[in-house]
Amino acid sequence: MTIKVYAYGVIDSNEKIDEAMKGLNDASLFNIPYRDIGIVVSDLNAQIQKEDKTSVLKHEEVVEKLMDKFTILPMRFLTLFSGKEQVLLIMKDYYDDFIGNLDKLREKIEFGVKTIWPGDLIKERITTAHRKSDNLPLVASSSGKSFMEEKFENYKIDKEFEEEADRCIAIVDGFFSKFTSEKRLEKLKTDNLLLSASYLVDKEKRDDFKKAFEELRGSGGDLKYLLSGPWPPYNFIVLTKPNAKKFGSVDMVDSVFQRKDRI
Amino acid sequence: MNTMIETDFPEVFADEMEKLQDALPKKIEANPENAEKGLAKLVLTLIELIRKLMEKQAMRRVEAGSLTDEEIERVGETLMKLENKMKELKEIFGLKDEELNLNLGPLGDLL
Amino acid sequence: MDRPIKTTQDKNSYLDLRKQERVTLLEILDRALEKGVVISGDIVISVADVDLVYLGLKVLLSSVETMERLRGAPLSGATEEPT
Repeated sequence: MTIKVYAYGVIDSNEKIDEAMKGLNDASLFNIPYRDIGIVVSDLNAQIQKEDKTSVLKHEEVVEKLMDKFTILPMRFLTLFSGKEQVLLIMKDYYDDFIGNLDKLREKIEFGVKTIWPGDLIKERITTAHRKSDNLPLVASSSGKSFMEEKFENYKIDKEFEEEADRCIAIVDGFFSKFTSEKRLEKLKTDNLLLSASYLVDKEKRDDFKKAFEELRGSGGDLKYLLSGPWPPYNFIVLTKPNAKKFGSVDMVDSVFQRKDRI
Repeated sequence: MNTMIETDFPEVFADEMEKLQDALPKKIEANPENAEKGLAKLVLTLIELIRKLMEKQAMRRVEAGSLTDEEIERVGETLMKLENKMKELKEIFGLKDEELNLNLGPLGDLL
Repeated sequence: MDRPIKTTQDKNSYLDLRKQERVTLLEILDRALEKGVVISGDIVISVADVDLVYLGLKVLLSSVETMERLRGAPLSGATEEPT
């Protein structure tokens, strides 16, 4: 089945959009309506879609332009459909989900806050402290036991490290809770990336939020902070309908083999 | 675009975030030999999942003090053998730890 | 494209621009590659209705340099139209 259509997002409008707007590969954008919502798409040219930096930036640019005029649920990058019929089917299937999300996200924006801490050093400090207080056995342990001892020590170190992280995260998060209706906190994506947070903020509280970030930044300490936004609400879309194909193990093997025909 | 980035340390953040991109599994090339590798990856990922859950559970029991010395020895031996076996298999299939990572949805990544 | 940039390191503003671009791109990737409306997954294994494994056959853009190398590469593992 050929792929004809690139989708940017779901909007709370069934009306035509500004024809001057262009999408990927300079194709025109248009809104495919269904009841009171629509999905904004552009035709894919005959050329193979380039999944490079330019395409991602273009995708984002389109979504943000639409965000100025509508409430939008941004599509994940590279969401493709075979045509208008498929797009309509999706809106039919997911209508309640889409409406629910659009209602929730109306007049709201997403801000990102990232925090870097000296995780490497902290882990070292904890490790050294543990080694010092080790009760090393006077007799060589059997292999099973020493395996467990080593694992257990790492387990304790990791646990303490995470508890320390939780403490710091709570402090950082504390600066923003007043201004947000919802949040997503990803902790320790790397040892040094203490926190990768997304906050859902009312548009009118935008300046309050930015002020809170300035307060955080001025609060001293050796942590490093990053604020990004306003973003389209990528992190706050919740689809309750199971949305992926489920395969049993036999089907999965077949699929992996069949894939090669499409590449 | 009207999105702003505000930070005193753009490079530090860029470096850290790039580490995340590197850790992601690359696409699976779907020709017959690599399809096999894709299958091996799947199977080994599931075994790793079980192995890590077992290890975690064992640690919790040690912490709670609910294992006897013999049990600690036995569990340790078993987990050790499992870990070594997995290292072997990963080597045979040319798979790295990051490739066996699992996304558990709201529970985050396995590794 | 006008993009407001705020950095206190203004020693070499060209370098700062490149750094800002890099981090902006990574922030965009952080969102657009994995989040948003995710309609079709690729291969999923379910255990008691919990999606356990998501084998992404999608192309993952790992870094700016890698992305630049991918320019013109064929589209593989793009999310499919759902049935």
